[in-house]
Amino acid sequence: MANRLLEISDLEVAYGDVGALWGVSLHVDPGTIVALVGANGAGKTTLLRTVSGLLRPKAGDIRVSGRSLVGKAPQEIARMGIAHVPEGRGLFRQMTVLENLELGAFQPRARPRTKQLLEKAYTLFPRLKERAQQKAGSLSGGEQQMLAIARATMSEPSLLILDEPSLGLSPLVVQQMFSLIQTLHGQGVTILLVEQNIHQALKVADYAFVLQTGSLAMQGTGAELIADPEIQKAYMGVLE
Amino acid sequence: MSRALQWIAVLVVAALALLPFVPGAVDAYYFSFLFFVFLYAIMAQSWNLVAGYGGQISLGSHAFFGLGAYTTAILWSGNYLWGSLYDAHPGMYYFDPVTMLFGGLVAAVAAVFIGLPLLSKLHGDYFALGTLGFGEIVKVLFVNGGDFTGGAFGIVAPASAFDTLRPHYWVALGLMVATALAIRALMRSRYGLALIAVRDDEMAASANGIDTLKVKVAAFAGSAFIAGVAGSLYTYYIFHVGPDSVFDLDWMLLPLMMTVVGGTGTLLGPILGALVMYAVFDLARIVVPDYHPVISGLTIILAMLFLPKGMMRLGVMQRRKSA
Amino acid sequence: MFNLPPPEILLQLSLNGALGGAMYGVAAVGLSLIFGTMRLIFLAQGAMIILAAYFVRALFYGLGIDPFLSLLIVVPVGLVVGWLIYQGLFRKAAAEEDRNVSLLIAVGLMFLVQNLMTVIWGGNTAGVVTSYTATGIELLGVRTSFTRSMGFLIALAGTGLVMLFLRKTIVGKAVRAASEDMDAATLMGISPHRVNAIAFAIGISLAGAAGVAVATTFPFNPFAGFIFSLKALVALALGGIGNVTGALAGGILLGLIEAYVQFFISGGWTNAIAYGVFLLVLMFKPEGLFSRPYKKA
Repeated sequence: MANRLLEISDLEVAYGDVGALWGVSLHVDPGTIVALVGANGAGKTTLLRTVSGLLRPKAGDIRVSGRSLVGKAPQEIARMGIAHVPEGRGLFRQMTVLENLELGAFQPRARPRTKQLLEKAYTLFPRLKERAQQKAGSLSGGEQQMLAIARATMSEPSLLILDEPSLGLSPLVVQQMFSLIQTLHGQGVTILLVEQNIHQALKVADYAFVLQTGSLAMQGTGAELIADPEIQKAYMGVLE
Repeated sequence: MSRALQWIAVLVVAALALLPFVPGAVDAYYFSFLFFVFLYAIMAQSWNLVAGYGGQISLGSHAFFGLGAYTTAILWSGNYLWGSLYDAHPGMYYFDPVTMLFGGLVAAVAAVFIGLPLLSKLHGDYFALGTLGFGEIVKVLFVNGGDFTGGAFGIVAPASAFDTLRPHYWVALGLMVATALAIRALMRSRYGLALIAVRDDEMAASANGIDTLKVKVAAFAGSAFIAGVAGSLYTYYIFHVGPDSVFDLDWMLLPLMMTVVGGTGTLLGPILGALVMYAVFDLARIVVPDYHPVISGLTIILAMLFLPKGMMRLGVMQRRKSA
Repeated sequence: MFNLPPPEILLQLSLNGALGGAMYGVAAVGLSLIFGTMRLIFLAQGAMIILAAYFVRALFYGLGIDPFLSLLIVVPVGLVVGWLIYQGLFRKAAAEEDRNVSLLIAVGLMFLVQNLMTVIWGGNTAGVVTSYTATGIELLGVRTSFTRSMGFLIALAGTGLVMLFLRKTIVGKAVRAASEDMDAATLMGISPHRVNAIAFAIGISLAGAAGVAVATTFPFNPFAGFIFSLKALVALALGGIGNVTGALAGGILLGLIEAYVQFFISGGWTNAIAYGVFLLVLMFKPEGLFSRPYKKA
């Protein structure tokens, strides 16, 4: 328990009077990839948005390295080392690729080292260096997703949260995306990954949680869940 | 509204209606004070209909108020309605329901005319800006209207003064009550439900088969009609209708402020807000005549800082905050 | 139809229009910044400009400080005042994301400032007359007033500085990011209150700069501000809401429209035509006349 990076306990979230999450508990250990999977509307995005402070929980607790972040504003949570790549990527489309990356290192912790971090990001994403002066909105879908992830790594986060990184990308680019996730993992980045691409997600994940209409349905290592007949029946079958 | 509240409302209205029979009341200061409270409450209801219930912030109410006032003054001074009847009855246009109806209708027609293009194209702040621009255009049109509108001076109605404020008081009270009842009935009808649906989620409303443009334009026109009738009523009070007096921005800003202070999207909020805010302004005017507009400004800021949901919502729990 | 006047007159008209319009432009730049981060139509901007003009006048007649030199005082004071206005009046409403409340606070502030000015300086028209007020200079072969040209330079310099700040500094980039997508900006660790306060500080200090230009060029009174706010809004719409250089260009365009309408039609119609253009642009080109690709919907 002591060295859990992220610990969510009995989290309840509602939109107005409509409940979205009912008593969800999960955790992420340092250095791991944790996948959060489930059908559309199961509450995955809601959970991520609550962790990064864009939504307020009704009850329950969220702790990062033992410190509670309930009630904190998104910018404070970001400064605690959580980088959230939201659904839809949240790029500043009218700003250049370079400016987007610079803003990734906006917080005081990272800002003095913007130059080094930029070099690091460019070695990992050489394509972005070529496009540095282009508007983010002019990039292709895959490039935009790379930029969103690269921007998030600019703050050297202790936890990287990815919401549906493969959404809307071609199969080839999806492959690149997952190998990139593994590269980041190899560099010691802890990742919480939400995916509808369940098979791929479970393959890269050390541990996984299955969310079903706002509650936790199952958990286990990625390998265990892939082998689980119920998971296969409920989710893999619907995969194209 | 609870039953008890309904009875209280009936009793208050009855007492107010009988007030002019109290000896000396008509000459008392508070009599004209109440007249203005009623007038502003009508204007506040007008703004509340389109902004509070309809969710479209309009900054052009003063244009509709002025249109109603001018229509009344023009019909009257040119005797466009009653012809020879007017010669026989010189008081024919005074609080004439037909004339007042025309005041409202002209405003409503103008609202449809401008509302169709604005509301089909513009949302939110852009609509607010558009109505503000419309208001200024209407004002300039009347300043440049030549003999028909009396130019920068305006029109003086063919009556020099009134000898009693009683009819003004009753008509204003009656219109205020009628407006409130009409909006109450409206908001309980299918149309009212559609209006709320459009305000809360336009896409969902449209997906459910509601013609959102029609609903919004109708609310805008209804609001303009109310403002036009209020403008007509004001003509019988000042007789001299000029661009600077009836197109004054205060006819938009004050009702807006009153509604928000009282409680947007509530039935009694506009009335309560008109009473409280007009009392504050008037008190300031009497007690600190040099500083009274300063105090008005200060009041709005303080009300917004400490009472942002309005007085009618004081008791309502903040349930919406959890998401 | 009217005959086209000789080219000197057209040039004269264009120059005067552009020089005057730049003042609407600089007011619009401030509105654009504040609207960008807060989605607030800051209707009190014009009143703040007139307040700055009175301040400049007081510095001149009270302490003998040259109006253009007083820029060195007015601009920093504007930064502080803007910061305080945000923290004191708008911070709470911005946190609750209730834009009606913010709009009304702006209206209240406008009332307050207008009437405070009336109480302090009286409601009559005031002005600043210096030794060079009547001085003319030759520009592009046309004579124009020295103070108007200075006002134009102030507007250009002010907008240029704001552009540099927004494009070259990381805090400026954060302000642009927040204008584009506040949620995504907070995920970068950007505090909404900080960017809002910065937008307000810059907006009000631009109002200060515009106040210097107004004080030296036009006679003014406490209630002239509202028309200025409206004109700035028109300039903003012409240039595209949220586009800083567009706002300045929109102001200049509005100045040209006004100058031409006044000459070719009549002074009484300038406002109606200016607002008519405003409505048409809002309806048919809401992204502004100078929009570039990748504008947010």
